[in-house]
Amino acid sequence: MAGKIIVSTLQSDTDNSISFVANTGATIFSANISHGIAGSFIANGSITGAKIALGTITGDDIATGQITGNLLTANCVSGNNIVANTISNTSIQTGAVENYMSAVGLDFGMRNRIINGTMIVDQRANTVGANTVISSNAPYTVDRWRAQISQHNGSMNVRQDSTSTAGFTKSLRAIVTTANTSLPATSVTRVWTNIEGLNVADLGFGTANAKPVTLSFWVRSSNTGTFSGALTNYDEVRSYPFEYTINTANTFERKVITIPGDTSGNWSSNTDGSFALNFSLGTGTTNLGTANAWTGSWKVGTTGSFSLAGVLNATWYLTGVQLEEGSVPTSFEYRQFGTEFDLCRRYFEIVRLTNDGSLNQYPGAGVAMAWGTTDVRMTLQYYPKRTNPTCVMSGSIRLATSAYGATLTSFTFDSPGPVTVLMYNSSTSGFTTGNALQAFSQNNTTFISFNSEL
Amino acid sequence: MYKQYIGANGSLANGILRLSDNACIPFDPANTDYANFKKEILADEAQIQDVDGNVMTQSETDAFIGTLP
Repeated sequence: MAGKIIVSTLQSDTDNSISFVANTGATIFSANISHGIAGSFIANGSITGAKIALGTITGDDIATGQITGNLLTANCVSGNNIVANTISNTSIQTGAVENYMSAVGLDFGMRNRIINGTMIVDQRANTVGANTVISSNAPYTVDRWRAQISQHNGSMNVRQDSTSTAGFTKSLRAIVTTANTSLPATSVTRVWTNIEGLNVADLGFGTANAKPVTLSFWVRSSNTGTFSGALTNYDEVRSYPFEYTINTANTFERKVITIPGDTSGNWSSNTDGSFALNFSLGTGTTNLGTANAWTGSWKVGTTGSFSLAGVLNATWYLTGVQLEEGSVPTSFEYRQFGTEFDLCRRYFEIVRLTNDGSLNQYPGAGVAMAWGTTDVRMTLQYYPKRTNPTCVMSGSIRLATSAYGATLTSFTFDSPGPVTVLMYNSSTSGFTTGNALQAFSQNNTTFISFNSEL
Repeated sequence: MYKQYIGANGSLANGILRLSDNACIPFDPANTDYANFKKEILADEAQIQDVDGNVMTQSETDAFIGTLP
């Protein structure tokens, strides 16, 4: 039989089909179609994967854009089918991976530049949920977060609170205790956190290579409306005011703000403060600006935004705060408590020598030494600090041997370093030079704190 | 109000005492409390006592601040 049949025209049968019918016994119909078959001649679904032998179609055979995502069925492309460098970065749309990771709850590690964004660490409160009165001194509330009322006579309390939303157990709560509806132009009411330069240096702020960042957070208020805040530099001369809307009262809502990198200004890349993330709760007009634009002055919110400070008993809750590189928000990065606690202790640490009395045991502060009869000394160690810390002891510590002891209420700290400090009292008496002394507390209020906050 | 104090070696300590909370603040430019101390003193918003508790005169304060980092 002839090896080939040459026809110039194929005419369809009465049913509009063209068929090749093999003789009985033939199992393979093969053809070499040297000039190809145009896609329009192949009906959708007529060629399935199982009919294409491995290696039949190579990458060079597929035109750019020919295969779109919705033509690929689940699991049809497995990892070992993708040769290294087959998919380049430019082939993946911005946000495609982040959105997928976010949707399925997967995380990239350590991308949140905010420490204690869950408000879980609260070392300063000696009782859970203790209120801190906001003042012009801008006290710290939960670790790494401060609150300030400046240049107006309203008042607020802030505290760690157990009111939260799914996925979180704590929040920071502010409540207005004295309302002020006539805020002076230069007044400020805010909650904010400072970020160390070492933790954001890679973002390149203040350079031509500044990267965008995305802020996401959960917020709740007794009042609806347009609230505001601002990302500023620590020097308070560069600001990016932003707005967010609380749509439903007393309901946590997630907000997302994307902020372009700032190519101007001084943004520290060392152990000094670099970023400051502010949430305005009522600010005078001088310190308010236009939303969504970098400006060369200090602003903590936007003109016309809602002033919580003007509503007595109004509440505002914040948790799940995340600031990350890029323009796409990912799911909140949960860190283990020990990790979060250590991140906080780089800036502040408090050792409470609390005696609950139940076992008649005294919490020990360590071992001291009688340097002389009137001079006792003790070296304390703490978690490595951002810088040499400010040291405070409050209460009393008893230093004793089995034969002699004295309760001292005043200690001085000499030359604190990043991890140790010498604590001493050189105005006591009765000790025997060279004796080792047990150091302990006999009350519930004694503490020693080490502060390297920004 | 701030106060000078004596270090463990018997000479003037490398820090300052903040009397409001008895905090020992090291002379470290990166320490925020130290930065605030200098800012307050230079703005005449606070005073310094010497080790004996005497409030420093302006010239004494200026001379002391001039020795600090």
